[in-house]
Amino acid sequence: MVSLYVTMMTVKVFRSPARHGYAVEVSPYIPSRVACAASQYYGIAGCGTLLVLDQTETGLTLVRSWEWSDGLFDVAWSEANEHILVAGGGDGSLQLWDTANHSAPLRVAKEHTQEVYTVDWSQTRGESLIVSGSWDQTVKVWDPALSPSLTTLRGHEGVIYSTIWSPHIPGCFASASGDGTLRIWDVKGAACRLAIPAHKAEILSCDWCKYDQNVVATGSVDCTVCVWDLRNIRQPVNQLLGHTYAIRRLKFSPFDKTVLASCSYDFTVSYCQREWMVSSWQKQRVRTLRENLR
Amino acid sequence: MSELTGFHSSAVMHRLKIISGHLPPGGSSNFRRDLRRSDCGSATAASSRSSPEDVVVVHGRRTAIGKAKRGGFKDTTPDELLSAVMSAVLKDVGLSPERLGDVCVGNVLQPGAGALMARVAHFLSGFPESVPVYTVNRQCSSGLQALFNVAGAIRSRAIDLGLACGVESMSLRGIGNPGDLSSRLMDNDKARDCIIPMGITSENVAERFGVSRETQDAFALRSQQNAARAQRAGLFDHEIVPVTTKFVDDEGKERQVTVSRDEGVRPGTTLEGLAKLRPAFKPDGSTTAGNSSQVSDGAAAVLIGRRSAVEALGLPVLGVLRASAVVGVPPDVMGIGPAYAIPAALQQAGRKCLYADVSSSDFRLRFMKDLGIPPEKVNPNGGAIALGHPLGCTGARQVVTLLNELKRRGRRAYGVVSMCIGTGMGAAAVFEYPGA
Repeated sequence: MVSLYVTMMTVKVFRSPARHGYAVEVSPYIPSRVACAASQYYGIAGCGTLLVLDQTETGLTLVRSWEWSDGLFDVAWSEANEHILVAGGGDGSLQLWDTANHSAPLRVAKEHTQEVYTVDWSQTRGESLIVSGSWDQTVKVWDPALSPSLTTLRGHEGVIYSTIWSPHIPGCFASASGDGTLRIWDVKGAACRLAIPAHKAEILSCDWCKYDQNVVATGSVDCTVCVWDLRNIRQPVNQLLGHTYAIRRLKFSPFDKTVLASCSYDFTVSYCQREWMVSSWQKQRVRTLRENLR
Repeated sequence: MSELTGFHSSAVMHRLKIISGHLPPGGSSNFRRDLRRSDCGSATAASSRSSPEDVVVVHGRRTAIGKAKRGGFKDTTPDELLSAVMSAVLKDVGLSPERLGDVCVGNVLQPGAGALMARVAHFLSGFPESVPVYTVNRQCSSGLQALFNVAGAIRSRAIDLGLACGVESMSLRGIGNPGDLSSRLMDNDKARDCIIPMGITSENVAERFGVSRETQDAFALRSQQNAARAQRAGLFDHEIVPVTTKFVDDEGKERQVTVSRDEGVRPGTTLEGLAKLRPAFKPDGSTTAGNSSQVSDGAAAVLIGRRSAVEALGLPVLGVLRASAVVGVPPDVMGIGPAYAIPAALQQAGRKCLYADVSSSDFRLRFMKDLGIPPEKVNPNGGAIALGHPLGCTGARQVVTLLNELKRRGRRAYGVVSMCIGTGMGAAAVFEYPGA
């Protein structure tokens, strides 16, 4: 099921029978369009589906959907072409899809040896790179041709849950892993620049602040979100408490430099807002939205 | 719509493992949780029913049981006895007392069930002031009730680990002052029955349920023989904490003695000797000094905790509390208490009885037969007749003796602790020894 929360007041819902959503991304070109990577049986077994939905006045309509033979765990829109998306699957593959093309993926790359849990398309001008993170503990960087990968980066000692390009620094991305570290990588040097032991538990998500190139947040199985300034990694700038289960995903708002959202296994989505008067993030959840368990 | 395509089950299991690792195992943490990962219950029989939420016994020790008024502890205050076992238990497992969430002590005869005495013992053991302590009095079951209370606090997640103890000095305090009771007591049948002496209730049971003098003496002999055999074989050496204490002799001279053996055991007991004893409570009665439980001094302490917390500290699991029951029965035949409490506890545990440590005497044999418990499984190392019955201590003492015996036997097994309770109750608990 995909729920679109609009203006906090209305909720538009798209139900996908027998498919459980793993990732949702809004198109950078068509603001009313979202892509959703979904899997059968909560991603434990079975197939996957990639959905492209358009928001209308009344709800969400299906634009396109494709089936895949394994679960799909993440999706990213191309930053260069409004029709193109990349998805990562449980079989270790990345697939490139075209909304103008109906049935088959444009390309499939099977290099990872375990589940691809995260894909991201770089946003900085001048480069068009895809980064994928896998449970095989490696990160791969690709160009849109997807074959072969441009580089494979090793270093994490646990499954990788999230790899996100920096919106500011070209060729730089962050990764979050089951080994409890947040790592910052430089693609040109094919090296890990920083390894931060951010949590004592697995880190399921990370994201960059869109307004401050030094700020990264991590969300962990320990139920906390930590906000880090990469110039001083000895301790987090702040630690946000309140979720009662693991943090599944977090995102800094692209619209408001003071807002960070997180969703959790505790069935809530929360927004945190940074107070103007203090330079660090307020340890509070401003608003919690509860998703009803079906 | 789509069918489940051919899928490697190892991949499925791997995904399940990764994702279930995002959920916490049952255990304490900063946040209270309603949902937690727990081991699948449909595993093999050997490892089934083991849950991180189990209340487990880590370790227990007891003092020797002294004969009241004449034995080695006759001049020892209960706080000394209690302190000795509390310290010993924690020292044995290397646990700092700061880890205890609470301490509950069963006691009957001290003023206020020994609440002040317990706190004094606590400090004599060097426990930090930050650890709380309280006492509980459910007459003869107080030591077991202390364990139930601590288990309850563990289950409600108020604490992770606690000490359940029992102590009594029947040398220094008698059953004496009954307290302030309403004059209406004498007009209320059941209330009046509560002040019947225990010996008379014993006679009542013998009469009403047809338990002969011979049966009672035979049971007493068995208790003495079992206890003597166990003592000779050194079966209690492991659990007894030797206590060095002051002893004032007949001339009023004070010296130090070390008490490390149960004093109530009479290895030379014979049926003929028992038959010669005169009834102690009723002229033509059947209850004698030989087939009754003894008046004694002693203390015991048991460390219990939630399995997840215990395992996180690297502590061993000696036994698992599987069921507990307390029932009410007519005060004038309070001795039948176990006959009702044991089935209630067994039902809760869903088990048949394999071994029972049953306190307090005589005609229990009759009820063991009714319950279908083979006699050889009742008090194989002796019971209260031979070992003695320091009121508040007994419940905790029985747990220590029971689990140590099950451990000695080695196999995974269940055991029952039970006793009748003055004023008309019975209590029972089922423990599981997980196997060597």
